[in-house]
Amino acid sequence: MFTFEEICQLIRLVAETRVGGVELERDGAKLRIDGVPLAAPAAAVGTPLVSEEAVQALRAAVTPPPAAPAPAPSPATPEEAESEDNLHFVTSPIVGTFYRAPNPDAPPFVQPGDRVRKGQVLCIVEAMKLMNEIESDVDGIVVRIYPENAQPVEFGERLFAIKVS
Amino acid sequence: MISKVLIANRGEIAVRIIAACREAGLATVAVHSEADRDALHVRLADESVCIGPPYANASYLNITAIIAAAEITGADAIHPGYGFLSENAHFAEVVQECGLTWIGPPPSAIRLMGDKATARRTVAAKGVPILPGSQEPLRSREEAVELAQAIGFPVILKASAGGGGKGMRVAHDARELRHAFDTARHEAERAFGVGDVYLEKYLPAPRHIEVQVMADRFGRVVALGERECSIQRRHQKLIEEAPSPVLTPELRKAMGDAAVAAAKAVGYEGAGTVEFLFHDGQFYFMEMNTRIQVEHPVTELVTGTDLVLEQLRVAKGERLSLPRRIKLSGHAMEFRINAEDPETFAPSPGTVAFLALPGGPGVRVDTHLYRGYKVPPYYDSLLAKLIVYGKDRAEVLRRARRALSMFVVEGVKTTIPLHLKILEDKDFQAGNLSTRFMDRFLENR
Repeated sequence: MFTFEEICQLIRLVAETRVGGVELERDGAKLRIDGVPLAAPAAAVGTPLVSEEAVQALRAAVTPPPAAPAPAPSPATPEEAESEDNLHFVTSPIVGTFYRAPNPDAPPFVQPGDRVRKGQVLCIVEAMKLMNEIESDVDGIVVRIYPENAQPVEFGERLFAIKVS
Repeated sequence: MISKVLIANRGEIAVRIIAACREAGLATVAVHSEADRDALHVRLADESVCIGPPYANASYLNITAIIAAAEITGADAIHPGYGFLSENAHFAEVVQECGLTWIGPPPSAIRLMGDKATARRTVAAKGVPILPGSQEPLRSREEAVELAQAIGFPVILKASAGGGGKGMRVAHDARELRHAFDTARHEAERAFGVGDVYLEKYLPAPRHIEVQVMADRFGRVVALGERECSIQRRHQKLIEEAPSPVLTPELRKAMGDAAVAAAKAVGYEGAGTVEFLFHDGQFYFMEMNTRIQVEHPVTELVTGTDLVLEQLRVAKGERLSLPRRIKLSGHAMEFRINAEDPETFAPSPGTVAFLALPGGPGVRVDTHLYRGYKVPPYYDSLLAKLIVYGKDRAEVLRRARRALSMFVVEGVKTTIPLHLKILEDKDFQAGNLSTRFMDRFLENR
């Protein structure tokens, strides 16, 4: 895998040296950056060689494939490090089993993208056959749900990320 | 059957229990508070679960959290260690009601021995010697004074629900006793929620000698010799040894028999300790601790046994693997290395910047320390137990000096320098011990 920074550097290098391009392979990940060779018609003066759109496209491309449609990328990327500042995390107040719905046949309490209010039940954590309803302590939008349904959770483990409104 | 043991404890004893489980081929689950994420027991166990915030009330004493941790990990047995929930009969019951194996004595035995006045009465009925005193909790100040005059002052008031010195008051005359009665009741009420107190003849400078017992489900109860634990400060033991320098084979046999009788009186199973006060060649039942004890390794060394492995065996419903006749050989001494200032005894949390553990012949260290470990301020100050073994007491004293001087902990203050000074004390060297030893030792510094 290549980091976003590495790719940016490569783009700059390709752009500055005006080579035809570069192709790299690492850990099964392939990367090709096509440059604008010197022989080709020069770009208009003042136009950035690497457009903002290209950077955006790259950003999407480097995101790990399995997490493609997920609203938040893995915490290792710089993007989440930035955005975590705006997020509120609801953590488990007890150790137990996480349930997204009041019973197996019912729809989940919340889905990513839902607007929630302070005091609204987000999930259940079961400990010793007791169903403990976990409420949101903020108003906002559910950005991410961390555990899978029926997964064990520890004390203090992140359950939800909420974008505070 | 047991296949996975959850250890409801922390520190050195959690590591000790993991060691026994490994040897027995059992998987382990560590539970920990937020303050113990980097603790050694968490690293060494096969699985770990964070059960709560740093304060023990919300984590290591949180019954629901511990049971839930067992449920989510599929543990089928719980070992409580010592302290925390180890002598909580209610917890033991909950564990069993949840279909888990409780690695400890029956809840009924815990409850009975936990009520000190009832315990006294129960063992006395089986012929175990007790100090003269009240058979039932005292109903009034005047009843206390009348009784004290009959048995003679000084007397000590103790909380029925008590332990650890709380609710205890010594009185040398009727006036002091009247005053102490209210204070002791109040203190007991506050500490244990029950204000019941009872009274005993007070021995000014007894020895503390305790007998280790092990019992299985088949009615076999074995005494594994005694430990002398007279070196204490404020009811906290500092140095323990086995055998006691004063016991004759006859006395040892008599105390062992008394301890077995006490255990049988409550239908005991597993590891337990019967504590006695010893004075002028006589011994008196004090209380029974219904759990594995901190100082169990000295007994392991002189008897050649593994008491925690025996606990696991008993919990599985197997017979004790102990020989018919327990043979004591050699001498062992344990030094508690606490994170405390050796002069002021103030707790000393911090980061272990450097660590060198002693080794070599006859030296065992039970500890959860490692270099870089942060000693949290929330729990017991015990960092390590240095246990020294030798062919006789003189060899043990030499080895102890060597091992303590090669035991290096930097970053936190420890009781190592205090132990080295105690080793220089003439009375200690001669085995002239009593529970007042530390008072005298600290006054003469």
